[in-house]
Formats: sequence, C-alpha cells, structure tokens
Amino acid sequence: MLKKKPEIFFIVSFLAGIIILFFVMYPIINTFFWTKPGFILEALKDKDVMRSIYLSIGAATLTTFISFVLGVPFAYFLARKEFKGKSLVESIVDIPVVLPHTVAGICLLTVISPRCWLGKCLEDFGLEVLGSVAAIVIAMTFVSMPFLINAAREAFIWVSPRMENVSRTLGANHWQTFFLITFCLSWRDILSGMILTWARAISEFGAVIILAYHPMIAPTLIYERFSAYGMMYAVPVAVILIVLCLIIFICLRLLASDHMKGGAA
Amino acid sequence: MIKVENLCLQLGSFSLKNINLAIKQGEFFVLLGPTGTGKTVLLESIAGLKKLQKGHIFINDEDITNKGPEERKISICYQDCALFPHMRVKDNIKYGLRFKADKHDATYRHNYDMLVQLLKIEHILDRYPVFLSGGEKQRVALARALIVDPDILLLDEPLSALDAGIKETIETELKNLHIALKTTTIMVTHDFREAYYLADRVGIIKDGCIVQTGTIDEVFQRPQSHFVAEFVGMKNIIKIADNSKFAAMINAGEGVSTEYFGVRPENIVISNEKMELGKWFIGIIQDIRNNGVYMVIEIQSFDIGWKAILTPNRVFELKLYVGKSIYWGFDAQHLCAI
Repeated sequence: MLKKKPEIFFIVSFLAGIIILFFVMYPIINTFFWTKPGFILEALKDKDVMRSIYLSIGAATLTTFISFVLGVPFAYFLARKEFKGKSLVESIVDIPVVLPHTVAGICLLTVISPRCWLGKCLEDFGLEVLGSVAAIVIAMTFVSMPFLINAAREAFIWVSPRMENVSRTLGANHWQTFFLITFCLSWRDILSGMILTWARAISEFGAVIILAYHPMIAPTLIYERFSAYGMMYAVPVAVILIVLCLIIFICLRLLASDHMKGGAA
Repeated sequence: MIKVENLCLQLGSFSLKNINLAIKQGEFFVLLGPTGTGKTVLLESIAGLKKLQKGHIFINDEDITNKGPEERKISICYQDCALFPHMRVKDNIKYGLRFKADKHDATYRHNYDMLVQLLKIEHILDRYPVFLSGGEKQRVALARALIVDPDILLLDEPLSALDAGIKETIETELKNLHIALKTTTIMVTHDFREAYYLADRVGIIKDGCIVQTGTIDEVFQRPQSHFVAEFVGMKNIIKIADNSKFAAMINAGEGVSTEYFGVRPENIVISNEKMELGKWFIGIIQDIRNNGVYMVIEIQSFDIGWKAILTPNRVFELKLYVGKSIYWGFDAQHLCAI
C-alpha cells in the first residue's frame, strides 16, 4: 500500500492559519473573562452607555447609506469608463485608507472649522458641525467610504458589459439595464462592501475624537472610561459593543454569502 | 434594408474608416476578417452601442444614427452568449418583452413557442445558464434576440466558441432559422467556411476598412486583392513577376497589368494521365496531408508548391504518394487575376 507523504506546504499554511485565528480570537474571547455578568447588566442599564452605542450604530448606518448613495454610482463610472488620470482618481479614493486616523481627523478639521471658508459658511447658516452628530458621520464617511467604492467597482467589473449591451438592444434603457442586470448581479459584493464600510465606521475613533468628542460614540466612551476609571469600567461597555457588532456582522455576512438564494448561481 | 454610409469611428489607436454597406431585406450578410480588424466594433456601432464620429445608418430609409440602442429594433448575439446568469432560461428569452408596450400581444406568445420549438430548448427552460452547454447557451441567446421581432439580427462570431460537432448543428439551425424567419442578419466571423455555408453575400474587412463585398462566388472565386484571396482560402497565389515560366504557360507575359494570379485548391485537378483541361502541367507530389475529411496534396511545379484538395477516396484511387510524378491542372475559368 502506498503511503501518502504529508504535504509540507499545506502544513505550514495550516499552522499560519491557526496562529492568525488565535491572534484574532484570543483577545476578543479573553475580554469576556475580564468582567462579570453583573457589571455588564449594570452597563446595560447605564443611559450614557446605551446612548453611545445607539449613536455609534446609528452614525455607522447613516455613513453606510451615504457611502452607498454616492459610492455606487461613482464605482460604476470607474468600472466602465476609461479616461486620462483614472489611476490618479482611484488612488485619491484610497487615500483615506492609508492616512492615520488622527491625521484624517485633522484634515477634516481644517475644512469644517470656522477658520476655513466652508466651516464659516456652515456657521453663517447656523450649522454648528464641530461637536455634532454630523461631524461624527463626516469623520466616519471619510475613512470608510473607500471600502464600499472598491467593493462595488470590483463587482461591476465582473459584470460583462456585453450583458448590458444585449439588455440595451432588447429595449431596456440605461437605468433599467443597471437595476435589472448590473445591480442584480453585483448586489452581494456591494453588500459585502457595505458590511466592511459599516464595520470600519463603527470602529472609528481617531478621526471622530478630533471632530466630536461629544456626543460620545461607544469607542470614545470606552476610551474615556478606561483612561479615567480603568479596565473595570471600560470592559463591560466593550463586551456589549463586541456582542452587538458580531450579531449584526454575522447576520449581514450570512445574507451576503447565501449564493444560491435568488438563483444567482 | 440597412444602409451604412461613410461610417467613421475612432477608439483609441483603432479606427473604422469610411464604411459603406447596403444589405437587403431578409439577406444573410457575413462580414469576414481576421481578429482585431474591427468586426465587433462595427456591429456594436450599427446596434448603437458605440457613438459614431461620422456617417449615417439607415433602416428602411429611416435615419437611426442618433437613436439609442433600445430604440433601433436591432438585436445582438455575442460569441460568449452574454446570458443573464441570475435568470432562468425562460426569463432570459422573455427579457426583451418587459420593455414592449404590447408585451401581452399574442404575436410574442407565438414567437416564444415557435422559437422554443425551432431551437429545441423545451427541456431547459427552467434551468439557469450556468447549467447549459455551449450549444444550448447559443440557442437561448438566439431565441432571446429573435423573440422581440428585430429588424436586424447581429451575430458576433456565434459559432467560434463551440466544439466542432455542435458547431455544425448550430450552423444548420442558424440556416433553418433564417429560412423560417427571413430576419435580415449580419454575422461576423473569421472562418470563411461558415460564410460559405450561411452567407447570401459577404464583406471582407481589414484594418477597419471594407475591402470587398459581393456574393460568395464573386468574393471567393474573384478576390480583388492579395489579402482577400489569402483570407478566403485561395492557397495558390502566384506573383507573375517572380514566375515568368508559369506566366508564359498561361499566356500572361508582358503587357498584363495583373500582379498576381490565383487558383483555389479545390479547383486543381490531379491525374495519372494527360487531361482535357484548359491548362495542364507536370508536377511531383511533395507532401500529402490528411485533414480527416479531405487531404491536401502539395505539388512541386514551376518551382512553386501548389496545393490541391482531394477526398481520401480519390487519393487512394490515384495511388498518390510523395515523390510521384503526376499531371495536374485547372480549368482556365478558375484562374483568377488578382
């Protein structure tokens, strides 16, 4: 009988995977053992905690919606059109991903502070952006929109323009073709992009505290409790945020990966 | 009838230059050309999918140059079929009806039933495209294109991605479909054998220009340039200036303005004895290549390798072998001045 030789390459790959999974999961799971159920229940009853969590979820959701409305049409344009300076435009889209988050916050502050013409204009119209929910959403959108644009662009590239051509010749106009063919074939990838955008937005801290320390989003609250009172007060809030994020993340992931549903084989 | 007048289009470094075409109602027109010569771009321009720089397109004397693709009544079928993967076969076929104001008209129901029957796709109507074979995909794409009663059907190399066996079947079905529906059809291909079988008329395209149009016989037997002759399978193209002995034999010496002469390989006759043909010569068999259904015989004569096509049976009857001396020739009417 032939003895199967172990494949060293796959053993190395497997071990690398084990290290990565341990590296990601161990700190998250360990956080749960740094607190007690009583502290978590107490945190759940704390209005400040719940307000910051609702604000985080709400702002991240609004950010995802804005990114979707602006990002999807732009991603389609980038996927379908060739023009001079296209790679420059694509690089500009990616800049917020490579900027340190506090630097992103400072950049935005230079624009929306009353010392800049834009901030001054907004102030003249009675819109106080700094220290408001709007500032939180602006910071979140700035750092997370590239994820949606890139995911949607890749999805649109995958859809053959020939399908769109056939649809057009069969009587569909541009809008009908986009919604009946292109979007139908790429919505799962766009949804994946939206999940990433949402996840990136809800985890944003550096840019947000520059523009709006108050009202407090959950990461800011956790940071404040950690620096003022220590781990005991920060961990329960962190645990609540982890659980909520995981529930939303897993639900959306399941929806996006359900490939056979709707017949999109 | 479709008429293309002075069509010009620039796409990066590639351009279509001054294309003129007139295709009659119900005609099957095949546009032949090597890869990268602009065949697909021309089809897409006719369909309204590419914006023209110059020129006009008329259908039944109506200028449709500025109409969008959805208003032209022109359907297109691509080589890769471009079926919508998220729709079942029946929904793919009926897709175009969604945009018809009279979509519930009995004509379309009749079209659907007839096309499904003609193309023999009753058994796959509930499948998704991913579960179809290449031939089935092409049939569905044809049904989808024809259900909307287009004035013009554009076929972009519909047979080139198919296996040899299924290719013949689809070829026959295309022919039958055209006989049954009489839809004006423009098909592009790089395979002159498909054109031979399907086309009423052909056009040859080279580097974005149409270099010759005409019936199959006109283009295949009387090509007007070296490129066309080579492209339509005229294997024996002789430059008069380089072959004075042969020129003398066919009385094409000085004073003849033609630069090349050509003979199609299927028009060359081989015999063990002298023949009663217009032109006959002696040659030595240099090579015999079996292509399955036919054999290509290379004859050395006048310092040129002449190619003839014979059936394996005929090669067996003549007892041909490499190195054998034979008589060969062709009818004078098959000698083509290029």
